[in-house]
Amino acid sequence: MSSRSQRVSSGIDSLVRRLLVEIPGEDPASAEEREQNAVDFVREFLGSSRGPAIVADVNQASDLIKKRLIQTNASPEKALRFTNLYSRLLSIPVITQKWAVLYFLYQLGDQQQKLPPILTSPFKSPVKTGRASRKMESFIPQSPGYGSNREDKPLVEAFAPDGIKTLPVREGGQRDRKEEDQAFFKSASIQREGVALKTALLAENYVEIDPPETALLRDLPFTLQGLSSTHLPFSSVSTLKLPATLPVPIISILHTLAEPSLLYRGLSLFVQSPGGGLLEQSLRAAISGELRSYLGLVATLEGQIRRALSTLDEKEPRGGIGKAGVTLKRCVVWTREATMGLRLMSLISEESKSKKGGQLISLIHGFSSSHGDPMVGAFAERLLIHVTRSFYDMLRQWIYDGELSDPYHEFFVSEQDPNAIKDNQDGRSRGGASSVWEDKYKLSEDMVPSIITQDFAQKVFLIGKSLNFIRYGCGDSQWVEEYSKAASKELRYGDTATLETWIDEAYKTTMARLIHLMAEKFHLFEHLKALKNYILLGQGDFIALLMESLSSNLDRPAGAQYRHTLTAQLEHAIRGSNAQYDSPEVLRRLDARMLQLSHGDIGWDCFTLEYKIDAPVDVVVTEWGNRQYLKVFNFLWRIKRVEFALASTWRKCMTGARGVLQGEDKNVSQAWKLTRGVLAEMIHFIGQLQYYILFEVIESSWDELQSAIHKEGCTLDDLIKAHTKYLNAITHKGLLGAKKKHHGENDDNTFMVQLGEILRLMLSYREAVDGLYSWAVSDFTRRQGADVRNEAQGRREDDDGLLINTPATTRRGPRNLLDSTPATLPDESIPDEFPVLQERLQALGGHFKSRVCLLLGDLAYQPDVDMRFLGVVMNFNDVYQPVRKKNRATGKEQGRSSAKG
Amino acid sequence: MPEGENKQDKQATQAQARQVIDVFHEISTLLNADLDRQTLSICISLIENGVNPEALSSVVKELKREGEETIKAHQSGSH
Repeated sequence: MSSRSQRVSSGIDSLVRRLLVEIPGEDPASAEEREQNAVDFVREFLGSSRGPAIVADVNQASDLIKKRLIQTNASPEKALRFTNLYSRLLSIPVITQKWAVLYFLYQLGDQQQKLPPILTSPFKSPVKTGRASRKMESFIPQSPGYGSNREDKPLVEAFAPDGIKTLPVREGGQRDRKEEDQAFFKSASIQREGVALKTALLAENYVEIDPPETALLRDLPFTLQGLSSTHLPFSSVSTLKLPATLPVPIISILHTLAEPSLLYRGLSLFVQSPGGGLLEQSLRAAISGELRSYLGLVATLEGQIRRALSTLDEKEPRGGIGKAGVTLKRCVVWTREATMGLRLMSLISEESKSKKGGQLISLIHGFSSSHGDPMVGAFAERLLIHVTRSFYDMLRQWIYDGELSDPYHEFFVSEQDPNAIKDNQDGRSRGGASSVWEDKYKLSEDMVPSIITQDFAQKVFLIGKSLNFIRYGCGDSQWVEEYSKAASKELRYGDTATLETWIDEAYKTTMARLIHLMAEKFHLFEHLKALKNYILLGQGDFIALLMESLSSNLDRPAGAQYRHTLTAQLEHAIRGSNAQYDSPEVLRRLDARMLQLSHGDIGWDCFTLEYKIDAPVDVVVTEWGNRQYLKVFNFLWRIKRVEFALASTWRKCMTGARGVLQGEDKNVSQAWKLTRGVLAEMIHFIGQLQYYILFEVIESSWDELQSAIHKEGCTLDDLIKAHTKYLNAITHKGLLGAKKKHHGENDDNTFMVQLGEILRLMLSYREAVDGLYSWAVSDFTRRQGADVRNEAQGRREDDDGLLINTPATTRRGPRNLLDSTPATLPDESIPDEFPVLQERLQALGGHFKSRVCLLLGDLAYQPDVDMRFLGVVMNFNDVYQPVRKKNRATGKEQGRSSAKG
Repeated sequence: MPEGENKQDKQATQAQARQVIDVFHEISTLLNADLDRQTLSICISLIENGVNPEALSSVVKELKREGEETIKAHQSGSH
């Protein structure tokens, strides 16, 4: 350490001695003092700043030197020499601090910097063109004079670290900056050498061209602006005529220069053409903005050209153009970037002709997001900001006001033409409000711009639709206005994350409000509950009372039913049951009416309960839903009716069995026994069916519906879906599913038809039983009458034997009349009637059994567990042999034969 | 033998050092650094010994400036 500092101090001493000037005639003392001062100063200075301030790197110092050499010297010789020296230096191992020495030399060289009077370095352009035309604008005005100031400014800008740093940024920052600089300068120096050589060669072998390059240069700015000039006239919109006299290389250069000119012409025409929609207009505005900056570039170019031409030395070879720094080739390089931009814009303008609205945005967004060239990406991104402005305006109006302001149909939500909707209705007529929700607006997928995802578009669509629905369907425009005032924000392209959070927020608020309105203002959930209670027979006491009070009425033909009696009975049923505690809002919607009559129907077939739903709740309980409810109600009502009928018959039989039905006839009591058995079977069947539908189907589906609609963040669409699912589950599991075509014979296969058949059989069986009962009653009375007569006759014969001999007409007439009116008819017909009845009962019973077997066979092979369960419950003790559809014909035979046997 | 090797080494080192100084001198002329060989070698040895190159360059500049000033002052004084 000490030796090192010693060496340093001795070095300082010798350095000072070498550098201090001998002043002739100075006295040695003062000279020594001066020297001492200097040494002290040096020591202090060096001591205070030990250690390199900058990270030591040989390459950096050499780069700096190279840069300087290239800058300060017109020819690359020196730089080349330096490179040679530098490589030699690197091969020598003696010195450890090569970087430091180089850096020291670099610092020392600083003061002697003198710029040779060259105009502008041609190597500025690769850097320059990296920036857009704006950069060009910025550097020219900085040098208003053609003086010394101008000389180094552009150079500094071009080669200063600032100017170069932009390179890696532009190229995506992939490469190491230093490495890149090195490569650049190496290539620059090589290029430089080549250019020098070429210039010399060109100057020697220069052939005069006609028109001269200067003239071409003078015309060039006009050409670039799409204007005809003397040498380069535009012969038509898309052709530029080049002078035929020019040599091929110049022609090829001019070809390159003609490209931006022609593109510009095309684009300026495009900009002037009227845009179809708002987005197209904004695209034109954005492009015209870009064209303006292109014109700015052309203006600077023109300035450069003029300045260069004004300093031309006519005596030099090639008209001195080689020295002026502005040549046609330079112009090509300068306009290269602009040409790329123009090319992209003309591509966009061409493709935009067949696209509109969201597709247009998708097109440009495609360039900005998936194009490999980062420059193209950045350019498209810039365009996108302008183009999307009107789109975001529409989006804002849509998600904050629920209004669609889209005069040119460019938004991805479109308002449906009411007439078109009517055409599209395939036989399904819909209520007013449901069309507001379902049909008023439509989301067209292909119009969704790729800047937003499909999910997102769906959300946006829902928000606007809900707002619109709140405003028009629910009549709550006040809330919408307040909300739009409070929440409205300006949306613009770029910050997707914020936009998303805003839209999510809007989505939540809107949906919550809509559900709130539905629940609180329109009592949607109450209505659903009421539908279940009344239409799906959930309110048992009400239904029982209604049926009881209506039964006598409904037995009459359908034509004899009057609405007022029905409504009166309904009112009675409501008053008499727990339904009276329901809210009047619900009760006033309940109505009883007759369905369309057909000939021969009785009241039972036509009666229906109705629950009136009006807008906007009919968005959820649609027309279709209402029909489903009605279907289920009619089915349940029929089951109820059969149950009711069977129960009353059963009751009659039971009471009768203790009195009128007791007889000695073995045959008759056997018939009664069989009948009771079949009746019990039927009652079991009906009971199971009812239990299944009410508890297994309706209640479980209801439970699912409840959990679905009370979920957090539930939307109206979810509600509608859940309700539809609920109805579908009920109709499907409740054996009411739509008819399925099966091997061409669809009628027998649906459960609906099978059950209908079974229910009909039950009713006719019940009629037959009633017939048997009345036969039994009359038989009973006949027997009683016979007994009485026998007794009376016996007594009479005992008492009054003479009477027999008296003429029949006088004595028997009145008694016979009295007695025989009930007795004579049975006397002849009753014995005939019993076997007929018995036969009929047997046939019906057998038929019923075979039908049930068929049904069970079908049920056993259902994919749905619940439906299989119904089969099991009905046939819990294996009384029936389920028959599969395929061998139904044999099954029928079997059923029949087993019933007979 | 080690003596001889050492000597050889030393000679080689010296030759290399000369080479290095040649190279640096050439670079300094390229850069118009205005340093003679002697000064340059002093500076190189200083730097090799850990002197901050930036500081050294400013010192050299300063000394040169001072020298010029004294010469000027002297000249003006002598006139």
